[in-house]
Amino acid sequence: MSIVKNVDLVYRPAPLANPKNLDEPAKGDFNNLLKSAMGEVGDLQEKANQSIQQMVGEGKGDLQDTMIALEKADVSFKLMMQIRNKVLDAYQEIMRMQV
Amino acid sequence: MDLFKIFSISGSGMAAQKSRMSVVAGNLANSESTRTVDGGPYRRRDVIFQAAPPPGDFTDELNDIAADRERAQGVEVVGVKQSNRPPRRIFDPSHPDASSEGYVAMPDINPIEEMVDMLSAVRSYEANLSAFNSTKALIRKILDLGRNQ
Repeated sequence: MSIVKNVDLVYRPAPLANPKNLDEPAKGDFNNLLKSAMGEVGDLQEKANQSIQQMVGEGKGDLQDTMIALEKADVSFKLMMQIRNKVLDAYQEIMRMQV
Repeated sequence: MDLFKIFSISGSGMAAQKSRMSVVAGNLANSESTRTVDGGPYRRRDVIFQAAPPPGDFTDELNDIAADRERAQGVEVVGVKQSNRPPRRIFDPSHPDASSEGYVAMPDINPIEEMVDMLSAVRSYEANLSAFNSTKALIRKILDLGRNQ
């Protein structure tokens, strides 16, 4: 028994970080996280939209501010797409699993 | 996102250089204006820049202040200053604004100086744009990490 214990001590890797110390999104399961991320993407797209309307429609605002809003929307959308791809990949991987 | 803050900082730089550009254009346009609403010839104007925290997330800002963290600074235009260089006196008795001795007070604007200022503003704008594009490229690279080859 004592040998097993020793082996256990040697091979147990030290945790990189205490999971309890990590910033958890409030009671966040992945679903909620995804929803809030999607909401943020929608927000940024709405901002970009407003910026374009102000710029082109009313001639107000700065060109660079509009472009920055567009870039932010673009980047956050791309991030969302990458997350979606990853999730779909994982799903398909599971579906292909031999039972 | 923290990377978005870099966008804001580059944006503030571009906005500042744009207003500098408009001031320089105004100086060039008014290089022969002998009348202004304040009276007297036009006086050369200069923008004053000041480092300022970029507009961003309020919670971000509060967290930084609470943790006493130094924040990356953007730039903002705090004002436009009139130079107090005396006007040039040019002898031109036929000019409508000539004094009784025939001298006209012209704005002391050196077109070469203004052109150099303008070039510097354009280069600065481009530098900010490069910083912006580099940030964009960085984000693209990070997102490429998740792509299945």
